[in-house]
Amino acid sequence: MSTLGISLLRRISEQVRPPRTYHLRFPFGHALGEPCRRAQQRFIFRDCLSALVSISEPGGIIDSPLRWRRGSFPGE
Amino acid sequence: MFKLPGVRELWAARHAVEAPDTIPWAPLSKPLPECRMALVTTGGVHLQGDPPFEVDDPHGDPSFRRIPADAPADALTITHPYYDHTDAEQDRNLVLPMDILQELRASGEVGGATAEFFSFMGHIEGPHLKTLIQETALDAAREIRRQQADVALLVPA
Repeated sequence: MSTLGISLLRRISEQVRPPRTYHLRFPFGHALGEPCRRAQQRFIFRDCLSALVSISEPGGIIDSPLRWRRGSFPGE
Repeated sequence: MFKLPGVRELWAARHAVEAPDTIPWAPLSKPLPECRMALVTTGGVHLQGDPPFEVDDPHGDPSFRRIPADAPADALTITHPYYDHTDAEQDRNLVLPMDILQELRASGEVGGATAEFFSFMGHIEGPHLKTLIQETALDAAREIRRQQADVALLVPA
């Protein structure tokens, strides 16, 4: 079973070393973004799916380009 | 206070973690549109009727709760004193993206979902770390495997 973990603290993930990590600089409690902002949440979920496919080495970390409360998303 | 990025980074710098000797690895076995996905959260989500997580123990609670994949939003609640879950109570997808997964199943981007999702309460430390690593996390992993998940997405709080 392949796994991917979202991380809100890169430093912790670098130490714990999960198999695959998608890192976001978002506040605690907001791994998928802002409440009821479905387009943003879909974007993040799809980014996680892409990371599941693209991370090919154990311990790989992909940094999300997103910034908290910035940007717009398809469908908004 | 943890809303401030600098505070979070300072906490992370001082926080000791359990690190494995090797990194477990399972390659993706099939295309995502053919994969069954499990969701695991550390957001303290649980069914209203289930026992809440233990909040009086300063070392946390290493147990987990099962959440049916078709549970309606109003059947769920959050017990987790270590993060502000005001927004997550308004929209569970922030810590347990059940509705997003359902959308992507409908569009064919993901093949399916396990019958249940799994929820822990983060902030597990001291003696409960051993229980988590040697018992409860393994129990959850076995159950996820029994439900024939191909992939699992772990969502923190």
